[in-house]
Amino acid sequence: MNAPVLWIGLPFGVAMGLFFVMRRAGLATGISAGLCLVLALLAWQAPIDQLIQIGPLNFKISSEIVILGRRFVLDNSQRPFLTLVYALGFAWFFGAGVARPGRLFWPAGLGFIALLVAAQAVQPFLFAALLIEMAVLLSVPMLSSPGHTVTQGTLRYLIFQTLALPFILLAGWAAGAIETNPNDTRLLIQAAIFMGLGFGFWLAVFPFNTWVPLLTGEAHPYTAGFVLSFLPGLALFLALGFLDSYTWLRDNPNLPVVFQVISTIMVVTGGVGAAVQKDLKRAFGYAVILESGFSLLAVGLRTTVGLQAFASLLLPRFLALLLFAFALTIFEQAGVPATLEGVKGSLRRLPFASAGLLAAYFSLGGLPLLAEFPVRQALIEAVAGQSLVLLAWVLFGSLAFWGGGFRLLANMADSQEAGWKIEEKGLAVVLLSFAMLAILFIGLLPGVALPGMQGLVLRFTHLQ
Amino acid sequence: MILSQYAIVAVPILMVCSLVLLVGFGWRGTQIALSVQYLAVFWLVTLSWPVGMAAVKLVVGLMASAVLANTQPGASDRDVLPPSGRIFRVLAAVLVWIVVFSVYPSVMTMTHAGEDVSLGSLMLMAMGLLQMGMSRRPVRVVIGLLSFLAGFEILYAALEASVLVAGLLAAINLSLALVGSFMAAVPALESDR
Repeated sequence: MNAPVLWIGLPFGVAMGLFFVMRRAGLATGISAGLCLVLALLAWQAPIDQLIQIGPLNFKISSEIVILGRRFVLDNSQRPFLTLVYALGFAWFFGAGVARPGRLFWPAGLGFIALLVAAQAVQPFLFAALLIEMAVLLSVPMLSSPGHTVTQGTLRYLIFQTLALPFILLAGWAAGAIETNPNDTRLLIQAAIFMGLGFGFWLAVFPFNTWVPLLTGEAHPYTAGFVLSFLPGLALFLALGFLDSYTWLRDNPNLPVVFQVISTIMVVTGGVGAAVQKDLKRAFGYAVILESGFSLLAVGLRTTVGLQAFASLLLPRFLALLLFAFALTIFEQAGVPATLEGVKGSLRRLPFASAGLLAAYFSLGGLPLLAEFPVRQALIEAVAGQSLVLLAWVLFGSLAFWGGGFRLLANMADSQEAGWKIEEKGLAVVLLSFAMLAILFIGLLPGVALPGMQGLVLRFTHLQ
Repeated sequence: MILSQYAIVAVPILMVCSLVLLVGFGWRGTQIALSVQYLAVFWLVTLSWPVGMAAVKLVVGLMASAVLANTQPGASDRDVLPPSGRIFRVLAAVLVWIVVFSVYPSVMTMTHAGEDVSLGSLMLMAMGLLQMGMSRRPVRVVIGLLSFLAGFEILYAALEASVLVAGLLAAINLSLALVGSFMAAVPALESDR
């Protein structure tokens, strides 16, 4: 057995098969969620490149496969990553059984995840750019609802993500050239610029992030949330891999400053953008920008605390985005417009969806007792140790984001009706409650839930 | 040999084709321009790669062009711009050409690629960007993206000759064309909701 075949080839093959059963939502949900669960459990329990014995059966999962002279490697150090990705895949596909984001979600979504994992596995790094572009192209049909015209958000998403490809490939070429000519400062600058632009497009970094609120505002919230959960998160992993691989880049004294300034701008624009939005779907986009800003800030600190914070932020981030997208979908299904005006009094009609939306929003904002707070607090303390100006702006962005949340809460609670109704369906109530409890659990007991996430960054040995 | 001797001829061909794509002379004109554009791309790529490998770009480009053409039944009238729009686009293209002619020597220095390769590549990338910026129709945007990528591939062929990269770039071009045709057809598909 082979790890890349198991965690890339198998899901990709199943994704292609799902195109034939995508109209049967229950079956497609079962297959995709079931496969993701099995792959997550395997990644968690089965060691790679070691003999595994199950009763009389002995076998070994080898870590490498060579295709056209290029290596795809998934070794033991990537098992935490595989576990996280496929566990989240399970959650998203299982939720899709209720959210019904469109028939293309299951096949395209599973293929999307498989290609992103392939991008992590391929060596040398520059091939990752090509695989991510293929993942982006596969996600476009998922974001375009059949029977409706393609939205400008989807088009901009396609454009911006495709523009990343040449820059990453050129960065890979320049990085290779630097290895043979390490004292060429002009080449160093060129490589840094190419890499900055490439990752800027991928991560939707300021000023290349205009498509994010457009996309969330126009596409189905569940599919937009799915894409925005996986793509920037995994692109950040690639960025860390790039930083870890090249000394000239890692030791560049200007890099932390660039990261910190850009991430702070993202936190402020995300916070203020969400605060002034009347459309909750667009606010979701700004929440993603804010969250990506904090992740970049953690990486930009260039300290062990920063790296640990980056890893610890991943689970709360994924959970909050999933809950946010799911709650917005429930609003849509109930015929409630996802606007501040539309959700007036919704706490009494859709209490679970409303509470879920608020929990997700405030968790992304870093409100105490919720999942992101413990990590955010550590991160903000680390920022305070480096720059008070930066701290002031980060706090301003966070407070602005909270302001939007309290306005949302006020609108949801503003009702003339006396009684309470639960209009959500049974399974939706269960899923919303589970996600809210998970967010609360991580917030209350971070020492139990988050240390396991540190395994995600252990392979970046030079950044520790 | 002849291909490399007269390679600079490919640059004006690219300029004309990308201008036709930008201004829009009906769907048939667009398809012919896209196909000829890929012929010029092939010409410039042969300067860096063997003809057999460079032919991949031509074949893939023609296939992409055909895929996009198949999604445009009777769309020729919708594509035609009013005269004022055409003049505006021609002027914008001229401005872009001026910028490209002033910038390409720096690209030559940076990549050590030849004059025709650098000029043709930058020309196509810039015109692709212009096309993307000036159009809101999915197929037009995809044509802009294909042009941009084709321009990049001319330059990248001079830097990297990996078979896997060539194969994956070909797959991306074809997938992009398929996505373009999907986006053009999606309003007519049966709705989920």
